[in-house]
Formats: sequence, C-alpha cells, structure tokens
Amino acid sequence: MLCGALAFTACDIYPVEPVVQPSKDADLDGQKVDVTGLGTDAKKIFVLNEGGMGANNATLDFLRMSDGTYVTGAFKKMNPDVGAGLGDVGNDIAVRGNEVWIVVNNSGIVEVLSAKDETEIAVITIPTPRNIAFDDNYAYVSSWAGAYAEYNSDYSIKDYSNPKGRVYRINLKTKTLDSKTVEVGYQPEGLALRNGKLYVANSGGIASSLPPSYAYDNSVSIINTASLSLEKTLEVQVNLKNVWFDGSSDLYVSSLGDYYSTHSGIYRIDAQETVTHIGDYVSVAAMFDGTLYCIGNAQEFDFYTTERTWKGWKCKGGAVSEWPVSIGSGTPYGLTVLSSDACLIGDAGDYFNPGTVSLYRQGSKRWSVNAGVCPGHFALW
Amino acid sequence: MRNAAAIAFLLLAVSAPLQAQGADTLAAAHILAARELPVIRASEEVKLSEAVAVPQAVADVLRRFTGVQVKDYGGVGGLKTVNVRSLGSEHIGIFIDGIQVDNAQNMQVDLGRFSTDGLGTVSLYNGQKARRLQSAKEYISGASVHLESERPVLPDGFSFLARLRGGYFGTVNPSFQWDQAAGALAFRTSAEFLASNGQYRFPYFDEGMLLRENSDIMSARIETQLFATVRGGELRLRLYGYGSERGFPGPVIRKGTGLPFSAERQADQDLSAQGSWQQDWNGHYATALRFKYANNYTHYNTHPEKNPAALPYDLHYRQQSVYGSFVHSFVPSWSHLALDLATDLQWNALESDAGLSVTPQRLCFIGALAARLVWEKFRAAAHIGYLGAWDWFTRTQSGAWDKENAFRDAWMPSLSLFYAPLPWLELDAFVKRSFRLPSFNDLYYRTIGNSDLSPESALQTGIDLHLKAASGPWTGELRLSPYYNRVDQKIVAIPTASQFRWTMLNIGKVDIGGLEARAEGSYARGDWTLLATLRYTFQRAVDHSDAGSATWGNQIPYIPLHSGSVDFSLLWRKWSFSWNTVLTGGRWSRTANTDDYYIAPWSTTDVSLARTIRFRTPKGRSRAPELSLALNLNNIFNQYYQIVQGYPMPGFHLMASAQFRF
Repeated sequence: MLCGALAFTACDIYPVEPVVQPSKDADLDGQKVDVTGLGTDAKKIFVLNEGGMGANNATLDFLRMSDGTYVTGAFKKMNPDVGAGLGDVGNDIAVRGNEVWIVVNNSGIVEVLSAKDETEIAVITIPTPRNIAFDDNYAYVSSWAGAYAEYNSDYSIKDYSNPKGRVYRINLKTKTLDSKTVEVGYQPEGLALRNGKLYVANSGGIASSLPPSYAYDNSVSIINTASLSLEKTLEVQVNLKNVWFDGSSDLYVSSLGDYYSTHSGIYRIDAQETVTHIGDYVSVAAMFDGTLYCIGNAQEFDFYTTERTWKGWKCKGGAVSEWPVSIGSGTPYGLTVLSSDACLIGDAGDYFNPGTVSLYRQGSKRWSVNAGVCPGHFALW
Repeated sequence: MRNAAAIAFLLLAVSAPLQAQGADTLAAAHILAARELPVIRASEEVKLSEAVAVPQAVADVLRRFTGVQVKDYGGVGGLKTVNVRSLGSEHIGIFIDGIQVDNAQNMQVDLGRFSTDGLGTVSLYNGQKARRLQSAKEYISGASVHLESERPVLPDGFSFLARLRGGYFGTVNPSFQWDQAAGALAFRTSAEFLASNGQYRFPYFDEGMLLRENSDIMSARIETQLFATVRGGELRLRLYGYGSERGFPGPVIRKGTGLPFSAERQADQDLSAQGSWQQDWNGHYATALRFKYANNYTHYNTHPEKNPAALPYDLHYRQQSVYGSFVHSFVPSWSHLALDLATDLQWNALESDAGLSVTPQRLCFIGALAARLVWEKFRAAAHIGYLGAWDWFTRTQSGAWDKENAFRDAWMPSLSLFYAPLPWLELDAFVKRSFRLPSFNDLYYRTIGNSDLSPESALQTGIDLHLKAASGPWTGELRLSPYYNRVDQKIVAIPTASQFRWTMLNIGKVDIGGLEARAEGSYARGDWTLLATLRYTFQRAVDHSDAGSATWGNQIPYIPLHSGSVDFSLLWRKWSFSWNTVLTGGRWSRTANTDDYYIAPWSTTDVSLARTIRFRTPKGRSRAPELSLALNLNNIFNQYYQIVQGYPMPGFHLMASAQFRF
C-alpha cells in the first residue's frame, strides 16, 4: 500500500545516492531457502523478533529474495557501533520508502534504518511506544505512557487509575518528534489511517489488572490528523489489538477478547463508521490485497493443554471464507501474506528460546528457518 | 548485599574438619551423643562465632560452597537466591533455628536480607538432614540451608558488641548486640541499620561506562532472643522485625535518550515471632514444640512519574503465616535406635491488590516418621514424609476465570547410609524424593490460574567419599561427591492458545548429573597457621522436557558446567589475612545453548586483612575487651561481570569495619 509513495520518498530522502552500488549488507550470509515463485516483487522481507522483556534481545532478520538467504541479527551486524543492539522488545516494524521503521517498546525508541543495508538513520525517543502508521508527512506512534495520574508532593501517586495513552507523531523528513500529541484510550495498540483520520485501537491491557475498574478498554479513538485532535470514540469490543485498512473502504479491528467469555475476533468499521462483528478466533492476522487473513484457535479458553488446533480464515468486504492452513501444534506469533498462495508464519515456540519462520504454500509448510525470540512482525521492501 | 560485604573470612578455620565433633553436636550437647550423631554430615558447615572476619550477608557465606549457585542481581539491595545441585531455588529450604523461612507467594527467599550477626553456624545439606527432634519440614526440603543461633556464653553475665562497617557505594552499616544472662535465662538483643546509595560504574555494552542508579537501600533490623534451660529442657524465643526501602535498578537494556532504566521502588516490613521448646523427659522420650507467626508486607511501585516508560503499577502485598510443629522422639533401651514422629501444620494467606485480587489461603499438614540407627561404624536413617495442602481463595471482585479450591498431597521417602570402615575414611549415600508445592504466583497471579497443577517432584541420589589425614602440624581432608538428580513435573510457564495469556503446567523435566570435590588442608606452627580450601563443582543439568523440541538435551539456563572457589588464609598472632576467589564457568541464559545467549565465565577475588587488639581485663571481669579491625578489598582485579544477564555486578570495592566487644 506504500508503493505509490515509494519512489517519491526515496529520492526525497536520498537525493545524492548513487544509482548502482552493491548494498553494504550483501556479504551477510544465512540460511538458504527456496523463494522461487512466491508471487511477490519484494526485494527483502524483514522479520522483527520481539525478544523477551528485560532481556534486550530484540533482533532484526531479513529474507533476501535475490538469493533466498535468511539473515539473522542484521541490526547488530550492520550497526556494530550500537553496542546495545536493537533493544528491548521490538513491537512493530514498517517499511516506508527506503526506510525501515522499528518500534522498540521497552527501550522507548523508534529506530529508523536504511532498508537497503539496515544501517541506522535516526533514533527517536518515545516512552513505551507500541505501533506505527504513516501518512505523507508523519509517522504516528501509539504510546502507553501518555497522561499521568495526579501525584502527591512526595511523588506517591494520588490516583493512578487513569493512565490513558497517547499518539505521538514524527516528522518524516526531519525525524523529529512533533511537540503536539493527542490523548487516546487506555493502552493504545495498533493504528491505521483512512481518509485523513487515524484510527487507534485501545486495549486497556494494563487497566484490566489494576484497581478499581479491572476493566479492558473497548474503544477505537478516531483522530483528525489535520488538527491532531480526538474527533470521536467508537465502541467496538474489549481488549483491541490491531487495525488494518483494506485500501478501499473498510477498516478491520482485532480484539483479543477477555480470555474467559469473550472470544478473540475481528470487527469491521465501514465507511459510515458502523461496527459489525465479522468472525471469532484471531491469534495472528495480516492484510493482503484487500483481504484480511486470520489464524485462530477455537479452543482458546482451554488453557490447560499444550494441544492446539489452529484454523485459518479470511475476510474480504465483510464476507468470511475458509483459508486452509495447517499449522500443527505450533504457536503462530506473526503472519505476512505474500500472495494468494504463499505466506510466512513466525512461530514463537516457548516464547523464551529462539523461534522459527516458515513458508507456507497452499496451506502447507515448505520450509522453516531459525529466527530470534518471538518472531512476530514482518515488513516487505 | 555481597558487594557491601564480600569479606574474605576464615572459612576453613571454622569448618568441619577441625571442628568436626563440635559441629556435630551443636546445640544439644547434653543429650546422648550417639543419638545425636547425624547420619549424613552437612555438606558444608561454617561456625561463624569462631571466624575472624565474617561476611555480613549469608549469601556471601553460601556462594563459595560446592553445589551452590547464588543468583545475584547485583548491588547492595539486589535479590540473592540460592540454587543447590540445579534443583531450583523453590526446592531449597532456608531454616532459622529449625523453622523454615517460607514465601508462599513465589517460594523465593532473598538471602541478601539475612545478616550473619548473631548466628552460630551456617550449614548446607545437599542431601538429607537427619537429626533428632527436627521438624517435619526439615525432612521434606530438597536441599536445605540452616542458620543456627547459639546460646551466648557469658562468663561475666553480660556482653556488649558494637560494630561499624562502611565503604564504597556510600555504605554505612552500624550494628550492636547486647547479651545478658539472668539465672537460667539468657537474652540477646541486636539491632542493625544499613544505608547505601548502591551506585557503581559498569560497562554499558561497548558504549562506555554508566553509573548504576536507583539502587539505593535503607534497612533496619531489630531482634531479640531468649534462651532458657529448664530441667534439661531448652526454650527459645525470637522476635524479629525488619524494614527496608529500596530501588530496583532494573535490567540494563537499550534505552531512549533521557529515559531511566527503572524507577521501581519496593518497601518491606517483615515481622515474626518464633519459638521452640525441646525437652528430654527421661532419656528415652523427648519432645520438641515449635511455632512461628510471620507477617510480611511489601509495597511495589513503578513510579511512572519518574519513568514515563514504566507501566503504572502500584501494588501492595501482605503475606501471613502461622506454623506449629510437634515432634516426638523415642529411644528404646537398646539405644542404638531412635524413632521420630514429626507433625507440622502451617497456614499461609496472601492479600494483594495485584492481578484480580484473589486472596489465596493454604493449609498444609506435613508429617514425617523417621528412624535412625547407629551401630559401631555403621549408621542409617530412613523416613517417610507426607505433605497435604488445601488451597482455597476468595475473590474480591467478580469476573475472570474460574478457579477451584484444590487439595494436593505427596509421599516423600528417603534413605541414607553411612559407613566409616577406617578412622580416616567415611562413605555415605542417600536417595530421596521430595516435592514442592506450586506457589500462589504459579496458581493465581502471573497467569491463568491452574488448579490442576501438581507438586513439582525432585528425586535426589548422591554418594560421599570422605578422607581425612593429620600428621604433626598438617591436616588434610578430601570430599568427593558424585550425584544424580531428576526434577519431574517441573512447573513451567507456557503461553496458552491465547498467546497473551500464560498458564503454568507440570511439563518440565530436568536430569542433573554432577560431581563436587573439596580439598582442605592446614598447617600450624608456632604463631603461624595456614589454611587452604579448594572447591570444584561440575553440573550437567539437561532439559528433557520435550523430545520434539529444539532445546531437548541442552543445559538449562544459568547452570555453569564448571564452578569453584579457592580460599586461602594466613593467621599470625592477632593478624589474619584471607584470600577468596570464586570462579564460574560459561553458561547460557536460555535453554537454546547458542552464542547469542552465552554468558561469559567470571571470577572475582576478594582479600581481607584483620587485626584484633585485646585490652587488659578489667577487675572482676573474666573476659578482656576486644577491638577487631578489618579491611576488605573486594573484586581486586576489577572484573566486570554479570551473574544474571542484564544485571551488572560491581567492580573493585572496599569495605572497612571496626568492632568493639566488652
């Protein structure tokens, strides 16, 4: 969906870049896999491995499509000066022109890299950033740390029950933070743009375990990007996670449910901002060519088994259909769809040790490579 | 507290070989020695009251023992837990005067909080402790650490001790102790205060040095003990209060400009009262009664106003426990045999505003029937233990998942044998099964509650070969201990089908094979005494949870294959010098044993110099006032290292202390 802006942005940012030059990361080697006939014209597929909280082991992998090489730990290899590595808990990744934008949650940074060779272009500090979306001028980043509660003179909290989140924006040219921010709901997560409006999914993931309410948020905050102000709050479902724009008219929002009576599911916000329930069971989902692909587990409330039965389904224009994909007993954690018959699935394993990335074609696994800890996010360049 | 107090001390001077008999008989020398002989000697034992310079924290005494890994998050206030023979710290019982320090919430006992002040001995049992009149809980711990206080010896009827320690990290640590005899009674009252900013420099990845911040601590401890002897019976009472306020510096990770690593603070208030009464009624029948009440309050706050990146948590926890134990011991006319029946009852409760505010409670019954045989060169002990635990909870708000009240129980047998064929050779062997209950965190807090959780099981086997020799000024001792353990039904957190929720399942299996070796020697001539101890531990702790997983057969996290320590002391008149090096080999922070998760080997060396000045004995007094001065140079080679990944340890640091006793 960024193809239109790609050429423009690229020459805008790199006005003096030579046209032909081997990429500095061409020497990076990795696991060789078969990438023929995947039906995508991407040069690289980036994989963000979240890492574990406090372990400072978020890593960036990429699959080089020219020779089918899966390179792990590319950030550290291409930025040896950044001794601390990519940081702690990589939460989102997106490609914008020839730049890769990575949101590193617990490190409190947004890292901007060259998509060509993964070298660092800029680092922007934002407290507890979660997800990122772009329009022509700005990158919008949701953040859990927004408005604070009131404090007593001894710094004890008078009232902490209102930790509403905020959306920050970064100027794409200067890579600097806009002084203006906007308050949204509790613990905002995914966000997407549609016709000059920014839709932010609020989870309330922390609020749900804090007194006095112990309640999830259930709203999408709609922000007018021209004035950067909250225009409207739309009730959808508890514990919202991601937002996708299908490129023509519909937005889809995923909910994680409340883990005991409300199932995870997908909700559509149509052009008139009417909310409809589309389907249940969503652990991972990805948008491709106007279709939202989902993988979920129908036994998601059976917490005491390691057996899982995963089911794929998809949705276009509000219509649900089967999407056969056989996951087996894995733990899908990230998904990107490359074409109507090919997708990559990140498997988190035990969430503690390094996971895998696998290619599925016609719903069955073709190959797997070793990735980092919790391979959860993909971006195509 | 190891930084503040990693004082090299005269470990060997006071350990088992030289004091073997004294240590064996410990507190109850008046009861028949044959009945008191332990079947298996403590794996390690230090008699602190006779040491010249003793570390302030119990963790620093333990960390050089064979088979022990102290997990240290660094800094004066950093958490320190102990793992023995790779069983996991939940299987290690910490006992003060025979009564367990428990933590039903997470089963982790912070050893950094225990001061060696006022303690008599610190001992470690890798295998089975089997002594007369011990509580049922002492039978069922996988491995155990025992902190024993000693009745003060007061030839003048009283004694005062004042001490001031201080040094790096802005550490100030005054303490005092007052002992008073009154007829058949003796009182000991002690108080201690500790303040430290906990700041030290550490290498921030490859990007230069940073200062560890938000690592300050202030703590105070006050306790009083009563010792009484009545008709051959021994009575003890201990009241204990501890309060602290500290910062958690957090893991060292990449941080955006201007964002702190952490602003988390924790305040604790621990109060406890415990007591025991041991009585030998007629030489054939003896009883022991023990009780404890503990009330532990914790306030944890992430202070988002100081760290905007923090998730806003402001949580309060209060744990309470009530414990009672009644032990009978019978010795028939044929006095080579002793039978013990121990019955313990314990209630735990946890109140908090965390998670979904469940208020779990637990009532445990622990019983043990034990027999000991002492027949010339042969000794044997066997017991069967039973643990039954009823858990229930009340929910302070509705919703969430259903949890059921649950009952769990387990039988735990053990057999130990000892044979001393020659005066210089001892052999012993043991086999034991023990269980640890799921903690309240496992059941109710961190995760989706799972009332189906079973206790986690540990099977332990071990052999000890003990050689001793003495000739003229020389003494020598060698201990070799191969062992095999299996931890089964290990409680492991796993993500549920809803990946953002975790649950606990009994799916882990670990096989552990190891070898411990300890060699000690001493040489004494004239005013000179030379002591040396070498320790080596090999541990292969293998994950056998899931044969299909990529990590099957790998070493479990944080267990080094090789570790060891070197202690060396030289005593001359009133001077003493000691040298201690601790070595830990490479290990991994994940079960994936790859380069990315490899933690480099480390070693630290501490040295200390101490001098005792004895003043003239005042008229009418039998003991001379004494001033002891000690200088401790820790990590003298300024090694930067991490025990837990992300938690740097301090480089070189210095501590000094002065102690006056009269």
